[in-house]
Amino acid sequence: MKSLIQLTVNGRLVEAAVEPNRTLLQFLREDLELTGSKHGCGLGDCGACTVILDGKPVNSCLVLAVQANGREVLTIEGLAENGKLHPIQQAFVDKGAIQCGFCSPGMILSAKALLDANPRPTEQEIRLAISGNLCRCTGYQKIVEAIGEAAKTIQGMEVS
Amino acid sequence: MLLPRFEYHEPSTLEEALHLMSELGGNARVLAGGTDLLVRMKLKIDKPTHVISLARVPGMDEIIPRNGHAVSIGSAVTAATLAGHELMRDRFAPLALAASRLGAPMIRNLATIGGNLVNARPAADLPPPCMVLNAELKLKSAAGERQVSVNEFFLGPGETVIEPHELLLSVHVETPPPWSGGSYIKLGARKTLEISMVNVATLLTLESPDGPIVDVRIALGAVAPTPVRAYGAEQLLIGEQPSEELFQRAGEVGVGLCSPITDHRGTMEYRCMMIEVLTKRALRSALEQARSWKP
Amino acid sequence: MTQFQVLNTRAPRLDAPAKATGQAKYADDLAMPGMLWGAILHSPYAHAKILHIDTSKALKLPGVKAVVTAKEAGLVKYGVSPARYDETLFAYEKVRYVGDEIAAVAAVDQATAQEAVDLIKVDYEELPAVFDMFEAMKEGAPQIHDEFPGNLNAEVHQEFGDVDAAMAGADLVISHTFLNKRQDAAFIEPHACMAVFDSDGRLTVHSSTQVPHYAQRTIAMVLQMPIGKVRVVKPYVGGGFGPKAEATPLEMSAALLSRLSGKPVKMTYTREEVFLHSRARHQFYAEMSLGVKKDGTMLGLKNKAVLDGGAYTSFGIATVYYSGSLLGGPYKLQGMKYDGYRVYTNKPACGAQRGHGGVVHRAAFEQLLDMTAEKLGMDPIEMRLKNIMKRGDTTVNELDMSSLGMEECIQAVREASKWDEKKGRLPKGKGIGAACGFFVSGAGYPIYRSDTYHSTVVIKVSEDGGIATVLTGSAEIGQGSDTMVAMFAAETLGITLDNVRVVSGDTDLSVDLGAYSSRQTLMTGHATKEAAEQVREQIAQVLAEDLGCEASSITFRDGIVLFDGGPGNFEKIRTMYIKEHRGWTDPPHGEYLTFREAARLAYLKKGTLVGTGKYKPPKLGGSYKGAAVGTSPAYGCSAQVAEVSVDMETGEVTVDRMYDAHDCGLAVNRTQVEGQMQGSLSMGLGETLFEEVKFDSRGRILNASLGEYRIPTALDMPNVDTVIVESNEPKGPYGAKEVGEGAIMPTIPAILNAIYDATGIRVNELPSSSERLYMKLKSKE
Repeated sequence: MKSLIQLTVNGRLVEAAVEPNRTLLQFLREDLELTGSKHGCGLGDCGACTVILDGKPVNSCLVLAVQANGREVLTIEGLAENGKLHPIQQAFVDKGAIQCGFCSPGMILSAKALLDANPRPTEQEIRLAISGNLCRCTGYQKIVEAIGEAAKTIQGMEVS
Repeated sequence: MLLPRFEYHEPSTLEEALHLMSELGGNARVLAGGTDLLVRMKLKIDKPTHVISLARVPGMDEIIPRNGHAVSIGSAVTAATLAGHELMRDRFAPLALAASRLGAPMIRNLATIGGNLVNARPAADLPPPCMVLNAELKLKSAAGERQVSVNEFFLGPGETVIEPHELLLSVHVETPPPWSGGSYIKLGARKTLEISMVNVATLLTLESPDGPIVDVRIALGAVAPTPVRAYGAEQLLIGEQPSEELFQRAGEVGVGLCSPITDHRGTMEYRCMMIEVLTKRALRSALEQARSWKP
Repeated sequence: MTQFQVLNTRAPRLDAPAKATGQAKYADDLAMPGMLWGAILHSPYAHAKILHIDTSKALKLPGVKAVVTAKEAGLVKYGVSPARYDETLFAYEKVRYVGDEIAAVAAVDQATAQEAVDLIKVDYEELPAVFDMFEAMKEGAPQIHDEFPGNLNAEVHQEFGDVDAAMAGADLVISHTFLNKRQDAAFIEPHACMAVFDSDGRLTVHSSTQVPHYAQRTIAMVLQMPIGKVRVVKPYVGGGFGPKAEATPLEMSAALLSRLSGKPVKMTYTREEVFLHSRARHQFYAEMSLGVKKDGTMLGLKNKAVLDGGAYTSFGIATVYYSGSLLGGPYKLQGMKYDGYRVYTNKPACGAQRGHGGVVHRAAFEQLLDMTAEKLGMDPIEMRLKNIMKRGDTTVNELDMSSLGMEECIQAVREASKWDEKKGRLPKGKGIGAACGFFVSGAGYPIYRSDTYHSTVVIKVSEDGGIATVLTGSAEIGQGSDTMVAMFAAETLGITLDNVRVVSGDTDLSVDLGAYSSRQTLMTGHATKEAAEQVREQIAQVLAEDLGCEASSITFRDGIVLFDGGPGNFEKIRTMYIKEHRGWTDPPHGEYLTFREAARLAYLKKGTLVGTGKYKPPKLGGSYKGAAVGTSPAYGCSAQVAEVSVDMETGEVTVDRMYDAHDCGLAVNRTQVEGQMQGSLSMGLGETLFEEVKFDSRGRILNASLGEYRIPTALDMPNVDTVIVESNEPKGPYGAKEVGEGAIMPTIPAILNAIYDATGIRVNELPSSSERLYMKLKSKE
């Protein structure tokens, strides 16, 4: 039997009737057509489905849509403002941190959660923050560099 | 991957939750973090017809210090919260450390201490530290309440003394005495996202910084059908001055108390030898922590 | 090298913003109205006769629109190499591995499709199965394919030079064996596709593929459709690495179901199905002997390979040839003997994965070199330097090194890692190791016998605005080929990168063999360059006629046009342009004529401005059997050094740092080249320490998940000091050649050689798990 849920997705209030066995990932991708969050494994092993739920990065393939009722979700589509890339997205582009791009939305969101909580992370802290996001293309190095770069940019923006 | 169909309940009070559990019994599963339950359901290992979410039950996710001597940890407290909590890291280090090694960051934001204990996977991260802290588990049902020591909680892989109509409400741990230190070591293949091949938690209490060991607790995971307390190894250490040789012997005794299996993650032989190595290292680390104890 | 305007820079990728914002659509992101979901029935048995298939219950399930088996699919045999077409879309007499496809269903949603699959009833008669390649070769082993007795799928015997004489002249002969385990490419995006027929009966398959062209051909052949009615379109792809370089049962099932149901059909593999499908790295057994003189000169190499190929051939013919041919370089040999055997077993089929058949034998060989150097008392790097080939050399198996920056690569990592300070001076438990590698820049021949061009490209310049659109069938799978193509086009046309668009990966656009064997930079690059030159020449011709000057005096650069290197007199062209654009607020200005003005003029004079380019390698390779595999227009090479720490009590290995120098001829995009190097090294590290596909005694995969098949995480992969070596390959466009696969070659042996340095243990079986190393350390005590 469907439940009525109400949640905020990328700053917008959304209302829907969903089956309980629908994951948040399915809801975002199929019901809201926000296909930026990806299905890589379905079991929480790869992080391609990362979204930020009430400020914390989670594997959306392991969250039921009904569990997101009354909560705030940020997906990759909610990061750029008025078409302008978020500093993390810009850094990923500039530093060559994106190859096939399938892990990128998850990586970028994990990075956002990190920098929101820890604006000046060390390299080890960056690696720890993305340790649940698998990448097969980049070897992680340029991703780590991009996140470090984004941290500086954001700090610079805050100062000015 | 798809989840099978089920009926979903979101009780808004503890009473409602317990009532549902006594009604639905074995057909229902409790949903807290979901990182274990939903995986098992997707793999068709678990097929509950009802899922009872604790999301709206108040008070389940709080860490409440109790008059300086103890702490109550709600069963819905996440691993991430445990790992980052100041009091946990300071006084209950094995638990905070284990929580920080569970899965990976995103899993830690969902996985709960209640789930990790009740699911009772032999390789789970949180049982061994709870065991060395002699945690008391508060189980509640519509009919009443009872307290069980975590050291008597586990019966087998996936099996605990909890009844289908019971809920694990909270985990109580007493603050270890002065000159106590603890540690948690986990052996896996990669440095994260791992299910342990072997894990060890210890808590060690000295009489004084240079004094003998007055209490020590060692718990091992992934090396038997349930996590085990290495009581035999503990007996060896109590009353003795700590030393490398002593810790080495404790490790050897620890091996004898375990019955690890050979599976595709590792052989029995290797696990046994790692029990020895990890126990020794865990004790060494706990000793260091104990010696640098601060009020 | 700053002679280029666009090439050799760190230009951001064209597709990065789309990927960074979640706008990039991958196959599973596609949807069409009325779309159905498909699902496949896989065999639960490793080897069994199919006695009967009953689909009646499945057909009756509400929401099911079509059910297909071999009956509907037909029995057209397919595969990768025409010499070994040994698969049918669905199994029809027997199944040969756990996962073999038996039927497929299309239904209104995914859950119904899966439920229907479970309702298909198959009666099996289980047959004895064989899972070990050596067991499979024995007398009396279960026969997997009737046409291949002894389960021998392919056999290669090659001898170059006089090996026996070479060995006889050797002061020392060292022998060695090596074994790896089956791998999985573990791309983060599982295979996915959507098939749809239009009202003309034309099929379009959108698929996460590396090879739209090969997929198109196979789908047309198997579905018995005219090839002109089949189109394959590649959306964004989340990694390929080899297993996506062939048509899949997913694509063919979706097409078949779409044809029958009259609706678009979407199908995806679960992660488990990705493992069942495999087509990833084989298990290789290597047996080698190297004969050397006591001064370290290499003389002869005897090399044997036994490959566990799984139940079907896939890329396997090429694989078993590569295990031999790729050891022909980068060292000089007087004689090389190779015997290779590819064996069928009742397991998922193995195919091509990054580095193909070269990786494991390279690892074995580089380890053997270290062993030899030790016996001779030589530094391992010195020994390699003594034997390396140079530009202009030819290998003993007739591969031409038209460029080879091997020495520069070795010296670069030697310096960067401070090898001379560290080697032999590190404490126990710490080690440093080196290795080299070598790979093709594209296979010399297409997979099917043909005179086809390997790459064709069309460039159309817009009638107004000076935008160049490159149309190419080549496949951007994350490696950056679209950006590479755009950069070649921009450089050649003399315009800025932001004025180039690339449309790619669609068989409607052009023929391109696709992203495999590291071919696209060299081959698609050449075709792009030629197409751009054609366009440029047309524009120059028009300008020359209009202004009364020599076409050869005209050059294009940075979006402007130069006449004898100067601004020239182009007033009338500008006047015409501005007149045509009255009301516009951005008229062209400045001292120089702009490309957009010149292109506009060319359109007005000639009509549509189109250039075409094509590339086919010259006839390559020797005249011996199998010469086709291993030949290439050019060869990339690399050297690596790895530093490790070993926990001597647990056997855990941590790779602390890596150094990689790769000769890519010319780095088209420096950032992308580094990214390919770092990515290759991370796959190599995973294969060395963690990765193996495990089976139970009934042929079922035990670890078909990314939790239990372990690829490196950000905490496992160290930083890599990358050095780009540019040897300027004469056969490559602007000197460029590959980096995508060659970079993985030295990784496994560099780490293993470092582990030996740290522990005195020679690990010759992968993965070097903590348990494996620990047991070896213990037995040595």
